[in-house]
Amino acid sequence: MTLQQPALPATAVATRPARRRDRGRLFQEIGMLAPAVALLTIFLLVPFLLSFWTAMTNQPLVPRPTPVRFIGLTNFLRIFKDDLFWTSLWNVSRFTFWILPVQCGLAFATALLLHQKLPLRNFFRGLFFLPAITSMVVVCVIWGTLFQYPTGPFNQVIGFLSGGDIQPIDWLGDPNWAMFSIVLLSAWQAYGFQMIVYLAGLQGIPDELYDAARIDGANAFQRFWHVTMPGLRPTHVFVLIITTIQAFKLYTQVAILTQGGPRSSTETVVHYMVRAGFEEQKLGYASAVSVILFLIVLVIALVQRQLLRRFDV
Amino acid sequence: MSDLAIPTPHTEAKRERSAIGSLRLVQTGCILVIALVIVSPLFMLLIASLKDDRFQILADMGSFRAFWVSNPTLSNFAEVSNFSGELAYGRYLMNSLFILACTVGAGLIVNSMAGFVLAWGTLRGRALVLSLVIALYVIPQESIIMPLVIMVSRAGMTDTFAVQIVPWVASPLYIFLFYQFFAQLPKELFEAAEMDGASVFRIYRSIFLPLSLPALATVSILMGIESWNQYLWPILVTQTDYARPIAVAIATFFGQDSIYWDRAMAASVLMMIPILALYLAFQRWFVSSFVGSAVKG
Repeated sequence: MTLQQPALPATAVATRPARRRDRGRLFQEIGMLAPAVALLTIFLLVPFLLSFWTAMTNQPLVPRPTPVRFIGLTNFLRIFKDDLFWTSLWNVSRFTFWILPVQCGLAFATALLLHQKLPLRNFFRGLFFLPAITSMVVVCVIWGTLFQYPTGPFNQVIGFLSGGDIQPIDWLGDPNWAMFSIVLLSAWQAYGFQMIVYLAGLQGIPDELYDAARIDGANAFQRFWHVTMPGLRPTHVFVLIITTIQAFKLYTQVAILTQGGPRSSTETVVHYMVRAGFEEQKLGYASAVSVILFLIVLVIALVQRQLLRRFDV
Repeated sequence: MSDLAIPTPHTEAKRERSAIGSLRLVQTGCILVIALVIVSPLFMLLIASLKDDRFQILADMGSFRAFWVSNPTLSNFAEVSNFSGELAYGRYLMNSLFILACTVGAGLIVNSMAGFVLAWGTLRGRALVLSLVIALYVIPQESIIMPLVIMVSRAGMTDTFAVQIVPWVASPLYIFLFYQFFAQLPKELFEAAEMDGASVFRIYRSIFLPLSLPALATVSILMGIESWNQYLWPILVTQTDYARPIAVAIATFFGQDSIYWDRAMAASVLMMIPILALYLAFQRWFVSSFVGSAVKG
């Protein structure tokens, strides 16, 4: 899982006074840098550039005797004409809309609580991170049982609390509920990361600011609103953007639990891409989807940079 | 501005203190509720894995019996811990462990060396390489995966361990984390060693690396989680049991008409153990250093 979106480095490249540069030293430095540069070039830069090329061809998954043809923007035009693509985009937007308040809200609240001097707070910090180290596949096993219809735990609890008035919900099988169910389990799994980032943000606010506010007679709520919240602005931007990017890449839980169903209500962009590439074997088409995904992520990341710049001065 | 109605510090402090007392109680209550939400699904997983009967597991789920097992048995674990044939989760677990060890091991070396040179080297163009690395960070794995599959299958790497390790060793994020960590160490450290005639690699190996335990721990945990939880990539590049990781194998439970929850639970517990051990081993450094380096605007 990627955590961090480094904007420009805070410190410029560490500089040292220019020294005698002997050849041996230069070779050593090149040798130390080379493995990373080579691997990044082969496995990140080249496939990235290739994806733009493949996106404009009719490349199939398995090689065929007929040569691969350049077909320009045809793949993109087909994608934009496909209702299922727009559905998948709409679905990840819905997912984002739900996951942001649920996951970031929970993470923020937990971080605020754990920032207090409570007994065992380090223990709780470690504990609350446990779902984040749990593989999504395992999370699907656990939540798959919780969501069982009609007698799973959630339905039992709802039935018990409502005295049987509320009918059992088919969490993963009802198009109205499926995406929301995915939101619940995703938030449970990933919120530990956001919590830790918020804790870092809270620790970054100097105590003097709180003391000064206290001397000025600010109450707890005023201190929160006028000291904590402004101090956390970059953190909020960071967390919201990272969560949004993660949300647009939604795949594993959907592939395992719903396969994009029921009635395409949990179809996502990545799931759409993988299906096009590997079930329909249209790799060129799938590459075009991946280019679109990259552009979406890029735009979100650029928005983050702009916002952080504005807040950070 | 003059404000005459300032309460005396004494009464104010008193009021605040008693307010704090009841606030603490509410806060502790909230923490406990969150802890329950976080832990109970995991605890249920552990309990269910010790139950023999898959139908009983589902029946128990809706009540407090989900948190209690009267006659615990390890038979589910015995069933799934084969090393060949059906339910070879022992093998899948070993596959995943091997992939994790190689990825993290190689990743620590490759990324820390690169981060070190970017921070302390004299190579011309370091700044350019650094900004390229940061730019590459924006590219999500999902959007390079299509061409990458073609590349590795042309290279005949499909269904190997290497294909699950090598592409993910070098990573912009971890190079950047190491760079950031090394750059903030005092330059006297470097200069003194250089004065003594130590080579760049020597300085990295014997002075900077031993000091970077927090960074190494953080990157180990993050890379470990990432490698352990890979799902999309291995389903695309593994076809047989040979190099199949446990995440992909557990997902196959969902393809069946009637899910064997007992075995799925046991396999899931198996999958949690190594990553949990890694996390517990490094957690102390992870939280403190990650907290230090996380948000840089």
